Amino acid sequence: MDCRTALEKIETKGDGLLPREEAAELAGHLAGCPACASENAAISATGPALRALTGIRAMEKAPALDAMWTRVRAGVEEGREARLRPSWIARWAWIPAAVALAVLALLFYPAGTDRSPFHPSTFDVAVEDVESDVATVALVDKGEDLPRVIWIIEDA
Amino acid sequence: MNEREKGGVPDDALIRTTLAGDDGAFGELVERYKGRAFAVAVGIVGDGDDALDVVQDSFIKAYYKLKEFRFGSNFYTWFYRLLVNQAIDRWRKSARSAEVPFDESWLSEDVSPADSFAYPRTPEDLARDRELGDALQRAVDSLPEYHRAVIVLREVDGMAYDEIAKVLGCSVGTVMSRLHYARGKLKESLKSHREG
Repeated sequence: MDCRTALEKIETKGDGLLPREEAAELAGHLAGCPACASENAAISATGPALRALTGIRAMEKAPALDAMWTRVRAGVEEGREARLRPSWIARWAWIPAAVALAVLALLFYPAGTDRSPFHPSTFDVAVEDVESDVATVALVDKGEDLPRVIWIIEDA
Repeated sequence: MNEREKGGVPDDALIRTTLAGDDGAFGELVERYKGRAFAVAVGIVGDGDDALDVVQDSFIKAYYKLKEFRFGSNFYTWFYRLLVNQAIDRWRKSARSAEVPFDESWLSEDVSPADSFAYPRTPEDLARDRELGDALQRAVDSLPEYHRAVIVLREVDGMAYDEIAKVLGCSVGTVMSRLHYARGKLKESLKSHREG
């Protein structure tokens, strides 16, 4: 086995994917080649070194990590409440809806002479209606101690 | 790899129980995977507090996405996809994520001689040599984010190539080349510290 092949196999061996015969051949090469043996040592050290590095961080944060489920549960509850609460958009959506309704009402509300005539029957008691072909005529009682009012509304 | 193999309650069963309304079952999943998830997250984001936030946010996201989980697939592969994406997002937003140019020379097979320096193998070893720890962290930080994710999933979590490919949504070949690049970078960091 030459050095180039050996270097290619070092990582595969480290990942446990090198067949036994090739591993034995590599071991034979490393035993007789200090440069490749050194490379093997350095490459093989990257994994443990990285695990050591993350291990230090884990030791530093162990108490917080112990409380992870408490943190997650709190976050889940918060998310659940947020989902139940109407969103900002839903909370203020009535404003544009109201504006749209107002605009529609203004657009379609009958203007000027097209408006329905004011009629006494909408708010008062007509004491007597007088028949007429050209107008709505009514005698309206506005209440006790108040004079009767005569409504004469010309029909369109 | 997962708890089913260790003889505990299978992940699938805990997921079904959670979906049926028992949050305690999800708590068991959190307890089961929080350590591994933290190791992966801290390997990617570098900072312990950021990693805690990433783990917490990933579990919360997983809880609300649980109904999308496809039974029959591995929970931890599914969960790690959320976790790694969350960690990479966090890394991009952090001040540590300065642009680092991709150095093709790391892909070469050149060999440099080394002596009999004893490499750190445990957190205690590394804690004794703070400079080396800092140098190693700098080397990890200088890796492009997906290279960092690959080496962390492989070396810290022990995932197989095909599992890493599933988590990252790339080919096994891409995983292997990224792993080779990342190992080269870390190896040089260890060597230059020893020689310096």
